[in-house]
Amino acid sequence: MDRDRALMRDVAARDDAAFTELVERYGGRLLAVARRLLQTEADAEDAVQRAFLQCYLGAAGYRPEFAVSTWLYRILTNVCVDELRRQARRRGAADAAPPAPARDADIHRLDLARAFGRVPREARVLLALRYVDGLGYRDLARIRGISVNTVKSQLARGKRILRRALDTEGLL
Amino acid sequence: MTRDRLDLVLEAYFRPTPAPAGLAARVLAAAREVERVGLPFGGRLAIRASARGIVGIAPGGRSEASSAAARRLAARARTELAEYLAGRRTFFSVPVDLTSLPAFQRRVLQAAREIPFGEARPYAWVAHRIGRPRAVRAVGTALARNPVPLVIPCHRVVRSDGTPGEYALGAAMKRRLHALEEATPRLEGCTSTRIVCRVGCAHGRRMRPANRIVFASVGDARALGYRACRICRPAAAA
Repeated sequence: MDRDRALMRDVAARDDAAFTELVERYGGRLLAVARRLLQTEADAEDAVQRAFLQCYLGAAGYRPEFAVSTWLYRILTNVCVDELRRQARRRGAADAAPPAPARDADIHRLDLARAFGRVPREARVLLALRYVDGLGYRDLARIRGISVNTVKSQLARGKRILRRALDTEGLL
Repeated sequence: MTRDRLDLVLEAYFRPTPAPAGLAARVLAAAREVERVGLPFGGRLAIRASARGIVGIAPGGRSEASSAAARRLAARARTELAEYLAGRRTFFSVPVDLTSLPAFQRRVLQAAREIPFGEARPYAWVAHRIGRPRAVRAVGTALARNPVPLVIPCHRVVRSDGTPGEYALGAAMKRRLHALEEATPRLEGCTSTRIVCRVGCAHGRRMRPANRIVFASVGDARALGYRACRICRPAAAA
């Protein structure tokens, strides 16, 4: 049994030290995904906290045939997608693109955030997972419960939109 | 796959940073709080039912059902209420029986039932809805006497300034129900059937937790190859 799965077994037995190690292993990567999807640091930290809370409370339901990373990313993307729905509703248009973050030290990053906001929601999720952790098509398919071909077409579509937006701004 | 300039830009953009300090401790504290507080009403509600539908719901007390059909409806309501309070249901399909109520109160409660899950409307909206725009106070009284709270969501009726206002089961419980509905996802897909349902659908209840995917809209789910459930019809409900 690898270290991740051993940790999950201990978390299910309410071992707080094992849970802390799991958070240290994955917290940064989960936060990077949430930060780019939700655009604000506060929403991202809240989403990661809720995802880890679900992980802790539901650890007994973890099935070892899933890689722990797959399971955690599944929980996190479920939380983030639901938060994106709430953000869209607060803006009053269910499928409107999210606004770019109000502040960012790097102007290039701000343009990138704006371009990323134009990508459809589910393609954004896949792009974030792909580039934060270098996940392969098969892992991405497993995390979002879709076919490998759909992963490929969604990623290609997302990248096409990004490339067009960044080309227009002269950033590529 | 060859990496191009866009790949490099995206790798830099998505580069992870270390987990924030104290994250695990905050999650553990939140988990203790969830376990300490438990479900609203302790998950225990008394249900009264007739053969036509649910007649009354109240915290504590004894459940009553006068016939086998009434007992079946009460059991169904109990299951649906438990799922709702646990954040696994966004609608009720069990019928209610309001026949013993005055006509005005029935109309008020029917209007309250039209308020979508997770949303709120002012008392004046209900008054307009039933064609009695000046009867705002009477609407408040009728809602306060709602015999089937939760199933008829009188907690979604709020003051015109957006504050929760009064609630027969307490203002704190009203806020808690709003928070519960805000935090409950609306749509879930099953990875094995590739069907997307409203949360609480009979199809979704058979879904294993490991197969559950949350979607923000039916359009998103369709774009990923999921089809809308024919039982709960999520597109019509959205």
